[in-house]
Amino acid sequence: MTDEEKELLEIINNGNLVGVSPKKMLQHGPSKLFLDAYHWHSPNKGIVASYSPTEKNIEDHFGIFRGVDQVEAFAQATVVSCATFSECRKKNYIPDQLKDEFIPAFISIGQVNFHNYLEAGDRFVSLGNITFYKWRQMVCDGRIYKVPKNIDLDDYFKDFNEERLLKYDISKDFILVAELFDITGRAIKIELFKKEA
Amino acid sequence: MERQEIIDGLLEVLKTIRTIDPARLVGVTEETDFLTDLNTPSTELINIAAKVEHKFGIEFDDDDIDHMGSKVKDIVDLIIAVKARGEE
Repeated sequence: MTDEEKELLEIINNGNLVGVSPKKMLQHGPSKLFLDAYHWHSPNKGIVASYSPTEKNIEDHFGIFRGVDQVEAFAQATVVSCATFSECRKKNYIPDQLKDEFIPAFISIGQVNFHNYLEAGDRFVSLGNITFYKWRQMVCDGRIYKVPKNIDLDDYFKDFNEERLLKYDISKDFILVAELFDITGRAIKIELFKKEA
Repeated sequence: MERQEIIDGLLEVLKTIRTIDPARLVGVTEETDFLTDLNTPSTELINIAAKVEHKFGIEFDDDDIDHMGSKVKDIVDLIIAVKARGEE
């Protein structure tokens, strides 16, 4: 293991995702990664992470970040990130080791209510609340908010907590974009995934 | 614990699953398949597994769930195996 990998393993075993690059946690390649940064994370409770849609993301879609991409961005920020973190902690792994054994897959999507839209250059946060985690399956509820462009999200969420997460106790300057319920994903063994495909 | 006792307990769990039509629970045998005979959504199996754990006071591990079959006899066999594992 490299020093960088040892440092990541130390964070996974004793810390949280704030400050960790999503590229280190998720298998998604650059064109499919809808996640820029983590701003708050309580491993068994929930997470806050942000993304800013690019011109490429809105191409051919009248300048708007698609609703299905909002669901994908929320899932990456919450279910995939939190389940990868917790599974790595359980197995004393770094994410690269999980990639050899599992594929993250959607299991089901519950109710999603869209309230607003997002354009390239906008910035939003996904607030995810973990409602179930067992047998490598995680379920999250949560919300997406558009945030003011100049806000320092690390500073804003440094004193955030689980109680505020559950009440969505955040600034009135944050604009509700979507509510999401029962977003369910599971890490499926690669050999089972290939068998079922 | 006898197999029939386990099946009876399993039926009690299945009656609490909203997506399973109670009428389909009449005449359930060990060969009954959750997915094809009871028309259970595959996404519901995790929910059933969580309730079975609670009902029988056992704990499945990740691999148990990965390889869990979808027939009644598969669940009965798994419950028996996990109970035995717990007593070791």
